[in-house]
Amino acid sequence: MPEIFKTFYDVFIQTYKGFLEAGLLTIEITAIAVVIGTVLGIIFALMKISNSKILQTIANLYITLIRGTPLIVQIMFLYFGITSIIVLENFWAGAIALGVHNGAYIAEIFRGSIQGIDRGQREASLALGMNRSQTMRRIVFPQALRRAIPPLGNQFIITLKDSSLVYVIGVSELFGLANRVAASNFKQFETFLVVGLYYLILVLIFTALLKWYENKLDVDK
Amino acid sequence: MGKLKMMLLMLAASVLLLAACGKDDEKSSGSAGETGDSGYDLVKKGKFTYAASGVYKPFSFEEDGELTGFDIEIGKALAEKMDLEPNPVTNPFETILQGLVGKKFDAIIGSMAYTKERAKQADFTEPYYYSGGMIFVAKDNDEVKGPDDLKGKKIGVVAQSTYEAPAKELSDNIQYYSSDVVALKDLTVKGRLDAVITADIVGFEAIDNGFEVKEVGKPMWVEQPSIAVNKDNPELTKALDKALQELIDDGTYKEISEKWFGRDLLDIDLEGVELLE
Repeated sequence: MPEIFKTFYDVFIQTYKGFLEAGLLTIEITAIAVVIGTVLGIIFALMKISNSKILQTIANLYITLIRGTPLIVQIMFLYFGITSIIVLENFWAGAIALGVHNGAYIAEIFRGSIQGIDRGQREASLALGMNRSQTMRRIVFPQALRRAIPPLGNQFIITLKDSSLVYVIGVSELFGLANRVAASNFKQFETFLVVGLYYLILVLIFTALLKWYENKLDVDK
Repeated sequence: MGKLKMMLLMLAASVLLLAACGKDDEKSSGSAGETGDSGYDLVKKGKFTYAASGVYKPFSFEEDGELTGFDIEIGKALAEKMDLEPNPVTNPFETILQGLVGKKFDAIIGSMAYTKERAKQADFTEPYYYSGGMIFVAKDNDEVKGPDDLKGKKIGVVAQSTYEAPAKELSDNIQYYSSDVVALKDLTVKGRLDAVITADIVGFEAIDNGFEVKEVGKPMWVEQPSIAVNKDNPELTKALDKALQELIDDGTYKEISEKWFGRDLLDIDLEGVELLE
């Protein structure tokens, strides 16, 4: 057993430079995917709760397609399908695929939290003479956003871990690098232990940030 | 909803803008690359972008964060001959040919052997080395003496490799991998695999790295790893063939080969050997 610790330590020391770079790439992809996903999520959530049948149908179709197919298939599809029309680097193809994938889940989170706001809030706001758009912007959405924070944070953590899948299109993020490092040092177990640790650290940092932010938004304090 | 829609549209637009900024060195048009005086297209101007799996030691692998190996160095030497900047990239082997067809890179220098099947999808240069397809088994396995002993046994191969079809002929119990190294590693775990078919050189590298595996007999066939180029780019294939011949003629090839293998990989006796096509 001590032998394992030693090789683990060796692998850790030998690879940390590369993994720090790759970790940055993982964070970048996750951040872009989160931004795209949040924008799409808000748009599709509003479409879903709008009064227009057409908009509802489009939103439902999107959410069904995304939730009904594996992320890895979506990444491949975007990389080899869409990019034959527009030239996209694998980094962007991966980040956009991850973002589009997340949009569906985030749309459902927003829809749930918007619909979860008490009807009285909306009625009171309309009674005060605000129009529908103002009601949404000033009254309903800010409250919904606060409710959406915990599930959103959860979704962001899932995104961070899902970003490992973009290695299939050749992005050198943490998991892709781990694959190559393991193929070069012939120590699979230690290498994936190391990379697992990096993911864990990232998730823990993110969880801490989320907690801090939730506390900041807490009205009861 | 007017203002809210505006806000969302602006947000969406800014995301797209952000995405556009990320590809400043990309072509905005759908056609990849530009035609220089040389008559061939390149994905990135002035650079020779070539792909390998990066998990195929000693041909392409990562060391101290740098991509290196025999394939990578051959690519560098070829780029220099063509007065281009070498730009090696990695792509998993299973999707590497699709990546070439999709013009993600100019060429594959990733130990991809020429086969008639692959030649339907891409053009190939002359081979830049020869290697043998070989069976590897666990060190304590004395049952397997040759290919015939693998009937119905569990064989590990890399998906989309030249070892896939021969393995399928021997057995219908195939385990697919994306890295030969992982497959060879699994050989050493009891009860996972009976054999792995891969390149002789790659197996020997693993043995040198302390893997408890051994080869079975002689190579079953010889294959011709060649450089794959997009079919829309015949001029580049010509240029690469010319540059490769120059490397061989001026001794650079031999130097690189000696450095990695202690011998000239092109210098083998092909008399009476089955060449895989």
